[in-house]
Amino acid sequence: MLWKLLPVAYGLLQVALRFKDDAALAKRLKARDSRAMSDLYDRYGRLAYSLIHRVVRDSAAAEDLVQETFLRVWNRMQSFDEEKGSLGPWVLAVARNRAIDYLRSTDGRMAVGALELDRLERPASFSGFDDGALSLDRARVIKAAFDKLTPTQKQVIELAYYEGLSQSEMAERMQQPLGTVKTWVRGALKAMRDQIAGGASA
Amino acid sequence: MSRCQEFREEFELYALGVLDPPEMAEIDAHLREGCAECEAALKNALALNAMLMATTPEVVPPARLKRKVLAGVGVHRMSWGWLGALAASAMLMIALWLSVEERTRASELAQARRTLITVSAQRDRLLQAMSFLDDPATQPVSFGKGKPLPPHGNVFLHPQLGVLLIASNLPPTAQGKIYQMWVIPKGGSPRPAGLFQSEGGTALHILSGPVDLASVGAVAVTVEPEAGSQAPTTTPIIVAPVGP
Repeated sequence: MLWKLLPVAYGLLQVALRFKDDAALAKRLKARDSRAMSDLYDRYGRLAYSLIHRVVRDSAAAEDLVQETFLRVWNRMQSFDEEKGSLGPWVLAVARNRAIDYLRSTDGRMAVGALELDRLERPASFSGFDDGALSLDRARVIKAAFDKLTPTQKQVIELAYYEGLSQSEMAERMQQPLGTVKTWVRGALKAMRDQIAGGASA
Repeated sequence: MSRCQEFREEFELYALGVLDPPEMAEIDAHLREGCAECEAALKNALALNAMLMATTPEVVPPARLKRKVLAGVGVHRMSWGWLGALAASAMLMIALWLSVEERTRASELAQARRTLITVSAQRDRLLQAMSFLDDPATQPVSFGKGKPLPPHGNVFLHPQLGVLLIASNLPPTAQGKIYQMWVIPKGGSPRPAGLFQSEGGTALHILSGPVDLASVGAVAVTVEPEAGSQAPTTTPIIVAPVGP
C-alpha cells in the first residue's frame, strides 16, 4: 500500500549497488582502516536505514538495527571477496535480515530461524555478479516491473521481502488458499525476471 | 518441468529465507551438488532481491546515527581499526583502554564487563587484563604511536601483576615462528617474558608476576622459533623503553 501512496523515491535509485571503487573500499575495510567504515556508512547507511525502517517502522529500533548491521559487516569483512564481491547487496541483505529477525522476535515467530538468515548472508555469497546486474538501469527495470504487478502480486512480494513471511504464513494472513498465494508469488517473481531478461537483450 | 527449473522459480524466496524448512533443505542439498546453472540463477536472484530492496522509499536517518555506527565498531574518535578484528573482545578492550585514558568513561567499562562475561574463550585472559588496567598503580607506556605501518600499541606495567602488552599491526608469524616478549633490565640482558601469537593483526599478551619497575629499561618483542628462545635471535620489531 505504501508503494501506492508514496511517489517513487528515485533518490535511492541514484545509488546503484556497485560502486566503481567498492573493491578499494573493501580492501581498506579488511585492512581495518578506520576511515573506511565512515566511507561505507556514507555509501550505504541511508539505504540500510531506509530498508530497515520500512520493515520495522520504528525509528529507534531502526537505528539500533543499522548499528548491528554495520557491526556485523565489519566483523565479517575478512570473508568478503574484495576482488569479485559487491558490498551493496551484502550490506542490504544483512540489513534486511537484521530487521526481519527483529520483526520475527517481536511477533513471536522466532521458530523460522535466525540461524537460517545468518547462513544466507555469508559474505562469500555476494560475489561474482554479472556486469550490469547491479546497475542503475537494472534498478529502473525492476522497479518498473514491480509497478506493473497486480495488487495481490505486490502484496505477496512485500510480505516476503519486508515482513519475511513464508507462503503458508501469507496464505494464513491473507485468508487465501496456499496454492493461490504460490501462484501470485511465482507470477510476480517471474514477471520481474522476465523484464530483466528482456531489458538485458533489448 | 525439471527439478532445476522448479528450484529456480523460488531462488529469490530461498535467498530471503522465507521458504519452509524442507524446501530450504532441498535447495541446499542441490546447491551442494555443484549445479553451475543453479549457482548462476541464485546469483541473479540475489541481485534481483538487492535491486528491489534498493528501491525502498528513502527515509533520512538522523545525523547521530553515523556516530553511533562508528562508535559501535570502535573506530569513533580513535584510529584503532585493528581492534575490530577481535569482535566482541574489541569492544571490551576499547573500554579498558578508555578506563585508563579517560577515567570518566566508567559506564562503558561497566558495559565492557558485561560483554566480557559472554566472551568465554578469552575471558580469563581478559579478566586478568581488566584488573591490570583498572589498577591505579599500573604504568602505561606507549610505543610506535603515530606511525601508520609499524606495530603499535601499549605496554602496561604493574609491580605485582606483571606486564601487559596490547599491540596492533603485528603480521601473523611465518610457519614455525612465534612472537616472544622480553623484559630488558637497565644495563642487563633481555629476559624471556612469554610467547604469543597475533590474532587478526592484534596481540594481547600478559607476563604474570611481580616486576621491579625501577629496574626495567625496556620491553621488546622479537620473532623466534616456535619453542621460544633463551635470548633474542632476531632484531626486535617492538621496543618500548620504560621509565623516565
